[in-house]
Amino acid sequence: MAPTIVLGYDGSDGSQAALSTAVTVARAFAARLTIVFGYEPNPMGGESSDYRHQLEALGQGVVAQAFAAARELDASLEIEQLVVPLRPAESLLEAAIERQALVIVVGGSGERPILGAILGSVPHKLLHRSTVPVLVVPTPE
Amino acid sequence: MAITDVGERPTEQHQAGGKGLKVGALGLVSSLVIGVASTAPAYSLAASLGLVTAVVGLFAPSIMLIAFAPMLFIAAAYYYMNRADPDCGTTFTWVTRAIGPKSGWLAGWGILVTDLVVMPSLSQIAGSYTFSLFGANGLAQNTFWVTFVGVIWIVVMTLICYIGIELSARTQVALLGAEIIILVVFAITALAKVYGGGIAHSVRPSIAWLDPFKIPSGGALASGILVAVFIYWGWDTAVTVNEESKDAKRTPGVAALLSTLVLVLIYVIVSIAAQSFHGAGFLTSNSNDVLNALAKAVLGSPWNKLLIIAVLTSSSASTQTTILPAARSSLSMAVHKAFPARFASINPRFLSPGFSTLLFGAVSIVWYVLLTLISPNVLENSILALGFGIAFYYAMTGYACVVYYRRQVFQSLKSFLFIGLAPLIGALILTWAFFDSIFVYSNPANSAGRAWFTFIHFNVHILGVHLYAHGVGSALVIGIGLLLIGVPLMLIWRIKHPDFFKRDREAATSLGASAPPLTAGVVPVTD
Repeated sequence: MAPTIVLGYDGSDGSQAALSTAVTVARAFAARLTIVFGYEPNPMGGESSDYRHQLEALGQGVVAQAFAAARELDASLEIEQLVVPLRPAESLLEAAIERQALVIVVGGSGERPILGAILGSVPHKLLHRSTVPVLVVPTPE
Repeated sequence: MAITDVGERPTEQHQAGGKGLKVGALGLVSSLVIGVASTAPAYSLAASLGLVTAVVGLFAPSIMLIAFAPMLFIAAAYYYMNRADPDCGTTFTWVTRAIGPKSGWLAGWGILVTDLVVMPSLSQIAGSYTFSLFGANGLAQNTFWVTFVGVIWIVVMTLICYIGIELSARTQVALLGAEIIILVVFAITALAKVYGGGIAHSVRPSIAWLDPFKIPSGGALASGILVAVFIYWGWDTAVTVNEESKDAKRTPGVAALLSTLVLVLIYVIVSIAAQSFHGAGFLTSNSNDVLNALAKAVLGSPWNKLLIIAVLTSSSASTQTTILPAARSSLSMAVHKAFPARFASINPRFLSPGFSTLLFGAVSIVWYVLLTLISPNVLENSILALGFGIAFYYAMTGYACVVYYRRQVFQSLKSFLFIGLAPLIGALILTWAFFDSIFVYSNPANSAGRAWFTFIHFNVHILGVHLYAHGVGSALVIGIGLLLIGVPLMLIWRIKHPDFFKRDREAATSLGASAPPLTAGVVPVTD
């Protein structure tokens, strides 16, 4: 079975940069690409079912964009689209562990390291907790 | 739920039923913490203790006990309605299904208005206690500066909800644990000093304080309940979020039971301790910053700062558990086409209901400043007015449950008790408290500040009920007035967008069954 590259994608500039790197890596290793969008509403907000539906619809749109962009870079790539109702870092980890992925590719926090620190940036969390190698792609200037 | 292009990758393990509920998210501790933190005991006490004693004097502890009953009964309705439909529209969705779209729309309006009305009190407490924390007691009494900090508070909290900053579960447990411990230490210290003697105006606790039947009048009981309902407001979250808990069969019950015990005990013990320390009159005359006023004498400096910090962390949790559900309610109403579609939009970057969240924050600021300008006592007016809103939509939830499960009510003793009797009694108690309080607060002498609409003047006896009014108390105008504004708005929406109102009432097919989606339509998703 072909190895898997897991890409975290949320539509931001950083994740777009990560996408092109992920495609390059996947091609180099003859791997398949799994594009992951994770979301989880704050449990302090109470019930959330229709909010979740909205988030999922949003996520599917975002992942479909990534799918199209990746296809454009490499038409022969095997691509999986995934929208997971878990926090971004957790959804990436889960997807990667389940697929025994070679590497998780994510975009860096870019020019907003402080905002990233406040929000708890995904690469930061992954670098500390991941049992799968993590590749952080800098956002181009 | 995932679109899989190649290979299979079902996410069903995250899904329970067709509702997209996540199993495996919350353990017992998290559920308990969310329920108690949403209720915000330190803030609730700070905001309401003085008002409860103003209404019922030394019977405040009994009100704390008895007000829990309708909440517990309505929580049963929440639990069972949430099982059928965990939409974030909650009461809006449930009433729409069970009773009809017009009532549902008004119930949704009731939730939004109630969330709006609590914001000035939260900001007021946050502003005043922030100054007290730094020993600036003069500024803590200064309306302008308290409002100034209060507005900043709303801005910051709105942004936190908009950007989606969350405390880690561990931090939440620590903060809540500290809040509870500080309240308990405060109560024990106060009682120890009372029994030690030498405290001015102190009263030794009496068992009669716990007896609601000794409360002098029905009106006092009703308005006491209406105030005290506020202190348990948010507790239902403990019941509903549990649908997502790890052990969905056991956790909900245990978490609800534990959070109940924690809350009732805290409220009863703290209210007993607080009123025995300097008497009930002290609480009433310091109702604006009652815990701060007591903390100095009870705990002494600098330990009193701990209680102030507890009130502030509690207020911040409560502000978040107001803004988040308010934004989700308007999101849900928009998804189901009962509100403009913009309210359903999600910020693509932060994944929050962006428009709903920011608008709610902005309207809260406008309302807070407006209320500060027109009312001399923001806190008191807000809490009294709040009772009407909570009683209204909680009662609607109770009625909706009975009507929705009308075919299952008599299937077993358990269902009769939990989906029939409890929700109905809860709803009836709240309905009674609602209407009886209208009579109480229509007399401006019972309401904070001056009377409004003084051209209304009557003094009559009908069927043994004494109706007197010279003007209307401002709390009543705010509480009922904001609810009533919903009626013309609903009618306007009905003329412009009749689709939402063309639906039939539904009934449950069985007790555990998920309801079909309320709306099939697609709504634009991003901002």
